[in-house]
Amino acid sequence: MQTVANIAVLVAIYALIGSGYVLIYRVSRVLNLAQGELMMLVAYLLFSLATLFGGHPASALAGAVLLSLLVGLVLYVVLMRRMTGELVIAAVLVTIALGILLRGLMVLVWTGQMARPLEKLGWQNSPLALGHGVALSSVAVTTIFVAIAIYVGLFVFFRYTAWGVRMRAVGENPLLAAQRGIKLHVAYAMAWALATFSGGCAGMLLALDSGLDGTMAIIGLKAFPVVLVGGLDSLRGAIVGALIVASAEVLAIQLIDPLVSDVVPFVVLIAMLAVRPWGLFGTEEDIQRV
Amino acid sequence: MSARGALLRLEQLEVVYQKVVTAIQGVSLEVAEGQIVALLGSNGAGKTTTLRAITGFLGVDDARVTDGRVWFEGRSIENQPPQLVAHQGIAIVPERQKVFETLTVTENLEATVPGAGTTRAEQRRRVERVFEHFPRLHAARRRLAGYLSGGERQMLAIGAALLCTPRLLLVDELSQGLAPRIVENLLERLVELRKELGLTVLLVEQSAHVALQVADHGYILENGRVVLDGTPQRLREHKDVQEFYLGQAGGGERRSYRDVKQYRRSRRWYG
Ligand SMILES: Nc1ncnc2c1ncn2[C@@H]1O[C@H](COP(=O)(O)OP(=O)(O)OP(=O)(O)O)[C@@H](O)[C@H]1O
Ligand SMILES: [Mg+2]
Repeated sequence: MQTVANIAVLVAIYALIGSGYVLIYRVSRVLNLAQGELMMLVAYLLFSLATLFGGHPASALAGAVLLSLLVGLVLYVVLMRRMTGELVIAAVLVTIALGILLRGLMVLVWTGQMARPLEKLGWQNSPLALGHGVALSSVAVTTIFVAIAIYVGLFVFFRYTAWGVRMRAVGENPLLAAQRGIKLHVAYAMAWALATFSGGCAGMLLALDSGLDGTMAIIGLKAFPVVLVGGLDSLRGAIVGALIVASAEVLAIQLIDPLVSDVVPFVVLIAMLAVRPWGLFGTEEDIQRV
Repeated sequence: MSARGALLRLEQLEVVYQKVVTAIQGVSLEVAEGQIVALLGSNGAGKTTTLRAITGFLGVDDARVTDGRVWFEGRSIENQPPQLVAHQGIAIVPERQKVFETLTVTENLEATVPGAGTTRAEQRRRVERVFEHFPRLHAARRRLAGYLSGGERQMLAIGAALLCTPRLLLVDELSQGLAPRIVENLLERLVELRKELGLTVLLVEQSAHVALQVADHGYILENGRVVLDGTPQRLREHKDVQEFYLGQAGGGERRSYRDVKQYRRSRRWYG
């Protein structure tokens, strides 16, 4: 049972980070390879805000959430906007450069030493007994609920709101979308803001649970196989991919060795690519366009 | 035609693809407010390119208006991004990829950005009106547009374009994939809409029969140049048009394919 609980937490983390990849890819066909660095940046921003407003944990959290949206927005406007309508590969290269740049900047600003935002907020991460001998830290439990809430929100947004539908339209056919009067920049900017928000939430929750240092970006990279397994343009796929990768990882840790955990996602990915290169839920033709 | 009253005016337009392929050259035409103007021409003549030059290119198209002007309501709009052109009141029914295939019929209509100042209720009423005009779409409203037939797609594309509340509607091959009766219906609708909303239409067609039926004026494009223009009456009487666009023998029996090629060549050199 404890294993199931551990898997659930990891699924939540991977699904959150994965949704960031999917959001941007789905709307603009760009793979944001800086996703790991961005979630780390948001986590560090939370740390700094927690240091500043130690007495008001709620406002520190709210501020970090707002900043995560803002970071995505600013990145799009400053960096990615000029890539709109250009070749996708150029944009992907820009995100790689962005990731390297961010990593360097974060080491400069936050030194890369272990930071514990939870302590700064003055909170305790007490374990919660869930019955049947299962225990999870309270942050881990929160993580599961946050992931569910964000996914429900995203599904509702894309299905029932005008801008959600428009973002899907832009993702399928930007030219036609533009001809129908949809502002491409608005759709792309919203995708970036939402992606840094959901990825950032994962980063913040991870940092609250177990602190953060320079290695967090690796977790972002480990979530990349998750979305490839599920299919890059599908949120449902991201959940299933997270389920597969997280289960494999947790089981490998328990049955083989904790040291293999970082490799497992990529082993799953390779197995997957051999069978269905476009992922479980992805669109077949999409892979050809990358 | 006088320059005044022209809603759209192309002036010596030249479009180059991939920086080397010149698709149209020196194309000039005028569409007066409230008119239906037909743009005719055989395959590869540059009809689609002309419409695309009006609605604007994206960076990935690797296409540019390299010379000439596109005037719309007295403003020059060449090389503007498509969404800005759309906001100024130009809507297009494209030749290919005219609907969002991964969206349902209703979502296709709802994704459209209406003209400025349209309320939500008004927009919903317009969507209902589209369904009234095209009952087939209403029956299929929950289906993905990717599963629609060619004709149903055409209806959806026309409906979505009208939801943009355009002043000028560009249609690339109206009759494509549609049953003759539906085409008749659509043409009637266009004539009605022109009266009702003051809509102006630039109609690209392969079939001169269809286009000349409703047009006030027609242009004939060959090899990227306008070779002939005039009233439908005048075009119908023109011998070449009868022969190559109306499928009638120019007087006596039908000429052979070689003559068609000869005609093309002469057009290229002397047109
Ligand atoms: N993306 C492109 N890249 C390069 N050349 C192009 C491109 N699109 C069109 N062309 C060329 O421009 C010319 C005009 O093409 P266009 O599509 O405008 O013709 P058309 O009149 O619409 O033909 P059809 O009746 O077959 O639709 C053709 O010679 C074509 O080869
Ligand atoms: Mg064409």
